[in-house]
Amino acid sequence: MVKAIEKTGIAVVQMANLVPVATSVGANKIVPSISIPYPLGDPATPFEEQWKLRYHRVGVALDALSTEVTEQTVFSVKI
Amino acid sequence: MKKIVHYINQFFAGVGGEEQADYKPELHTEILGPSLALNKALEDAEVTHTLVCGDGYFGSNEEAATQELLGMLEGLEFDLFVAGPTFRAGRYGFAAGSICKSVKEKFGVPVLTSMNDENPGVNMYKKDMYIFKGGKSATKMRSDIKVIASAANKILKGEKLGSAESENFYPRGIRLQVIDKNMKPASTRVVEMLLKKLSGKEFETELPIPKNDRVDIAPAIKDLSKAKIALVTTGGIVPIDNPDKIQSASATRWGMYDISSNDDLLEGIYKTIHAGFDPYGADTDPDRIVPLDVLRAYEKEGKIDSIDSHFYSTVGTGTTEGEAYRMGSEIAVVLKDHNVDAVILTST
Amino acid sequence: MKLEIGNFIVKEVSFGNSTSFQNGVLTINKKEALEHVMEDSHITEADIVIAVPGDKKRIVPVKEAIEARCKIGKNCTFPGVTGDLYQLGEGRTHALKNMSVLAVGKHWGSFGDGLIDMSGPGADYSHYSGLINVCLVADTDEEFERHEQQKKNHALRWGAMRLSEYLAEAVRELEPDEIEDYDLCSITGRDNVKDLHKVVYVIQCQSQMEELGYNDLVYGWDMNKYVPTLMHPNEIIDSAIISGSFMPCSSKWSTYDFQNNPTIKELYKEHGKTLNFLGVITSNLNVSLEQKNRSALFVAQIASTIGADGAILAEEGYGNPDADFIACFDALEDAGVKTVGITNECTGRDGKSQPLVVLSEKADAIVSCGNVSKLIELAPMEEVVGELQSLARDGLSGGWADDEKLGPSVKEDGSIIMENNSMFCGDQVVGWSQKTMKEF
Repeated sequence: MVKAIEKTGIAVVQMANLVPVATSVGANKIVPSISIPYPLGDPATPFEEQWKLRYHRVGVALDALSTEVTEQTVFSVKI
Repeated sequence: MKKIVHYINQFFAGVGGEEQADYKPELHTEILGPSLALNKALEDAEVTHTLVCGDGYFGSNEEAATQELLGMLEGLEFDLFVAGPTFRAGRYGFAAGSICKSVKEKFGVPVLTSMNDENPGVNMYKKDMYIFKGGKSATKMRSDIKVIASAANKILKGEKLGSAESENFYPRGIRLQVIDKNMKPASTRVVEMLLKKLSGKEFETELPIPKNDRVDIAPAIKDLSKAKIALVTTGGIVPIDNPDKIQSASATRWGMYDISSNDDLLEGIYKTIHAGFDPYGADTDPDRIVPLDVLRAYEKEGKIDSIDSHFYSTVGTGTTEGEAYRMGSEIAVVLKDHNVDAVILTST
Repeated sequence: MKLEIGNFIVKEVSFGNSTSFQNGVLTINKKEALEHVMEDSHITEADIVIAVPGDKKRIVPVKEAIEARCKIGKNCTFPGVTGDLYQLGEGRTHALKNMSVLAVGKHWGSFGDGLIDMSGPGADYSHYSGLINVCLVADTDEEFERHEQQKKNHALRWGAMRLSEYLAEAVRELEPDEIEDYDLCSITGRDNVKDLHKVVYVIQCQSQMEELGYNDLVYGWDMNKYVPTLMHPNEIIDSAIISGSFMPCSSKWSTYDFQNNPTIKELYKEHGKTLNFLGVITSNLNVSLEQKNRSALFVAQIASTIGADGAILAEEGYGNPDADFIACFDALEDAGVKTVGITNECTGRDGKSQPLVVLSEKADAIVSCGNVSKLIELAPMEEVVGELQSLARDGLSGGWADDEKLGPSVKEDGSIIMENNSMFCGDQVVGWSQKTMKEF
C-alpha cells in the first residue's frame, strides 16, 4: 500500500503501532501510534487527553512529510 | 506434434566467437547447434526453428533486436520457446532472459531457459520465467539440455512442473502449499531441526528469509501550508452500511468516502469492518483510526492548505502484499487526479 | 510431576439407552446428553450428530473441538472453567481417544469458525477429518452477537465442554486400553540428562481481543491479561488451556489440539535421549508493540533463567501476530537461546506475497505449515452438518458473500470455494501438519 503510493512520487507517512511491520512493508517515514485497535486515542482515557495525543502525533506526521530523509526513519513522539 | 522455437547465440550457432558478437538476428528453418540435441531429447515435440542473434548486438540494441526477433516469430506456429542453455555467459544470459520475457508477453507461450548461478541473468529474470540451474560451461551442454527437454515434455503434455527444488529451477518468488502424507509431521521436523541447530550441524529452514526491497523516498513537501493532504487507512473505517462491501479480512476492495463537509468522523455514521481486532475503540470514535478531527484543526490553523475531499479505506488483515500493492496503485491514481501532495496512511 | 492418561480407544459411536463404553463402542443416551448441554438456558435448541471418517458429510460452522476426558478423583475436567481450580498435570486422567466433541452452529457462524469435510479432497485439510466427531449442533439466544462477525460463542463452547465431560463419565470407573505415562521431575532434580541440550517449548496463544470472552484461557484466566509463565508440559496436555473464539480458523488451536499437542509428545519422546525437556513457556499474542515486546522480554528471560540453550517457538496466528513471533524469536536468539520457529504463512492466493508480515535474519530456522490464503474448491457433499451458507454469509475468515471474479463462497449446487483460512484448525502448527511451503 505505502510503497505503491510513494512510487508515484506522493509523499507518504505511515502511522502504525507495529513499527517492525511498517518497516518490513517498506514505509520510509513512520510515526508510531499507540495500539492496533485504537491507534490514535485510548478509549480508557479522557476525551481531551485522546485529542491531545492525536493532535500531537498527527502533527509529527505532518512535519515528517516536510522532512527530507535518506533512509527509513521512525519519527519520535512526545505523547 | 507440438512445436518449439529455440533461441541461441552466434557462438553456439557456429558463426563465431567474440568477433561475431554483432551478428544480427536470423531465423533458421534448418535447425542447428544445441537445437539438434534438444530436438533429440523431446518426446512428442520437435524444434522447428533455430533463432540466432549475436550477444553483442542484442546487448547494445535490446529494443531493436527484440522487435526484429519478435517480427521473425510473427506468423510462426509454436507451443513453447526455449533459449540457451547459457551457462555463465553473462550477455547470453541477459539476451536469453530478455527475449524469453518478450516472447512470453507477446505470444503467451511457456518459455524456458537455463543459466549457471553466477550468470547475472538469473537475478534479472528468475521471477519472470523458469530458469533451470545449469553448468558453468558448455561441457554441461548435454545435461543442461536434458533438464530443459524434460520440463518441455511435461509442459507440452499438459502436466504441471513440480517445485523449484525438485525440477531444479531458480525460485520465482512463488511459495505454495504442499500436502504430503509421507512427510514427517511438523512436530518431528521441528525437533530434528532444533537438534541440528543446537549441535552446529547444517539444517535447512522451510522459510528462507527473503531480502526486502524498498522504493525511492518521495521528495519532502516544501511548504506544508500549501499542501493538500489525504487520509488513507487500512483500518477498515467505512460508512456504517459499508457501501463498497469491503471484506473484513483478505480484502480485495477499497472505498473512497466524501468528507468535504465533515469536521469529524462520528460514531454511528462510520465504523470499522476490520476483523483483525476488537472494533470497540474504532466504532465509538472513528477518528482514532482516521484522524480527521485533528487534521481539520491543522487546516484551520493554516499548518496545511487543505484536506482531500475524500478519505480512502480498506482492510489490512490477511490482505496479501500483491492485493495491497494493487489497491495502493489504484488509490494513487485517484490521489493524483485530486492533486494530493501528501498522504497520512494509518494502519492497524 | 507425573501424569497418567488412560486411553479408551473409540472405534464406534452410536445412540442407545444408556451412555456407556464397551468393546470400543461408545453408546450415547442422546436425551440425557442433551439435558447436560441444555443446562445453559441460552441454548435454545440442540442435537447431536455423529460424523465418521469416510462419511459424505461437511461440517460447518465448527467453533471448537474437545477431547472427552474425566479426571479421576475430581469432578471437572477444566478447572477454572467448568469447575473449581485444582492442579492439573498429575494423577490420572481418562480419555476417549480417536474421537472429538465438536461445537457446531446450527445456523450462525463467526470469523474464527471452520469447516471439516469427512471425506474427499477436503479431508486432507483438517486433522478432524480423521476422527470420529460427536457434533453438538445447536443454536442459542445470544442476540447481542447474532449478527456480529466476532462471536464469543460462549454457550456453544461451554455446552461442548459439558458434553465432553458427560461422555467421559462413561469411562471413569473402567480399566483403560492403554496408559501413557508423562513423568518429568523438577528441572534441578534430574541427574541423567546433564550433557543433553536443554530445550524449552514456547507457545504464543491467541489473546488479541481486549474485551474478555474471546481469548484462550489458562485455568480459566484470559490470556490477554497475562505475562508469559513457565508451565509443566503435563498441565498443557491435561486441559489447562481452553481455545478461544477469534483467530482465522486454520491458524487456531482447538482445546483438543492443546490436549494432544504433538510437539510436547515429541519432546517427551526425545527427553533423556537427545535433549532435556525443561518445560513450556506459555506466552500470548498482543495488539500493541509494547505488549508484544514485553512478552518477548519475559519469554527470553524465563528461558535464560532456567538455562535453556534451545527453544521451539510456535504462534497461534498470522498477520500481526507474526510481529510477536519475530520479536520473540529475536529476543531468544539475542539471549543465546538457539531457536526454531513453527508457523504458517500468508503468501496470497498467487503465492507471491511476503510469507510473514515481519521478517528477521535471526529467524533462520523455521518449520512451515502451509498457506492460509490458498484457494480451495470442493464439490458438493451429500450431507451438511450445521449450515453451509454460514461460510459465505457470516464473515468466516476464509469465506465471502460475493467476489467479482470468484462469485460467492457457497454455490447453488452446494459446491464451495474458500480460502484455507477457514479449514478447521487446518494448519496444525501444534505439530500434526504434513503440509509445508515450497517455491514453484
